Amino acid sequence: MSEPVPAHLADRQIALVDLLDRVLAGGVVVTGNITLSIADVDLVHISLRALLSSVSALRPADG
Amino acid sequence: MTEATPTGVWLYAVTREPVPGELTGVAGEGVRVVEGHGLAAVVGDVPLGSFGEEALRRNLEDLDWLSTVARAHDAVIGAVVARGPAVPIRLATVYHDDDRVRAVLDERHAEFAHTLDFVTGRTEWGVKAYLDQQPEPDESAARAPASGRGAGTAYLARRRAAQTSRAEAEDRAREQVIAVHNRLAALAADACTHPPQSRALAGHHGQMVLNAAYLVEESAARGFAAEVARCDDECAAIRLQLTGPWPPYSFASLEES
Amino acid sequence: MADDERRRFDADPEAVERSLVTLVLTVVELLRQLMEKQALRRVDSGDLSDEQVEAIGLTLMHLEDRMGELCDHFGVAPEDLNLDLGPLGSLLPER
Repeated sequence: MSEPVPAHLADRQIALVDLLDRVLAGGVVVTGNITLSIADVDLVHISLRALLSSVSALRPADG
Repeated sequence: MTEATPTGVWLYAVTREPVPGELTGVAGEGVRVVEGHGLAAVVGDVPLGSFGEEALRRNLEDLDWLSTVARAHDAVIGAVVARGPAVPIRLATVYHDDDRVRAVLDERHAEFAHTLDFVTGRTEWGVKAYLDQQPEPDESAARAPASGRGAGTAYLARRRAAQTSRAEAEDRAREQVIAVHNRLAALAADACTHPPQSRALAGHHGQMVLNAAYLVEESAARGFAAEVARCDDECAAIRLQLTGPWPPYSFASLEES
Repeated sequence: MADDERRRFDADPEAVERSLVTLVLTVVELLRQLMEKQALRRVDSGDLSDEQVEAIGLTLMHLEDRMGELCDHFGVAPEDLNLDLGPLGSLLPER
């Protein structure tokens, strides 16, 4: 039996932006009608929308 | 029997190695494997309510949701890569069912095999470079009184000086970035660049002039980091930042999508 | 609407105004920088009299002061005056 692997590896602090560079733009892209969905995500689109929604969202103090 | 929630199959990575048990995926699901053609597709069952096509388009625009899912996706890939060479799959690749996943393994097995060989024994490292901000000359001290003669002319002279010094700094930085990229690429099996990062997400560290990834032999990792530090010392116009180790995201796709 | 949807669409009026102000100030700053570059080109080309150079310089200097005041008034930092055009980089050169 393999032992459980911790959810986050190593001590590296992964900045979200560095991660998004890779998981959105990197990795194998598999398209075609056998796929249910490929989110061909546009980082510009995300960053603008995320910026707008993060500015306008009400955030409760207790998170 | 629990209610039948429609699910899709989220693909994390393709590998040849055994995959650690008890990994948790993007939807909190147990990660499992679909085998075919001597390959193992690392997958998880995800509810279509949040991970189907329409739901994904909405959810991926929510930075909190995206952040959680991206990190969970990366955590699974990282655990797989720790066991052996693996091809990371782009975020949000969802299939109808296991048969479709097997069909992918079947259709693309040569490509996966090629990539697996290419990344074996190698790790990705990221290097970002920022323009090293020269402090602006203290304009308020040099300023003629606002009503004095020549104040406007003096202002223009200051602005021209600032513009020139900025342009020169950018030219120096550009030369140094090219030199650094060539030096580091020479130590790597492969190198590529990403667009500079969105400042809204990356924060204010100065102007980003390089956002590169290098695929380096595991045995050469220390030497590579040392070279990055050397480049940082030697290049006054730029500041370098090393990130990693990363699974080989930037070197996994062999075909232009 | 589900809670998370409500959160996304629920525009806090102050925050929306702040985003709009930042956008407007960014455009003004863009114009200021373009005018400044243009002014410097004209000064360098030598086809302006000393009085004209002085007048342009004063105008731009006052415009820069005014921008600073507006930013202070709205609590916007000068570094925030920018627009991310994605693949095209930022609208304004970064400070």
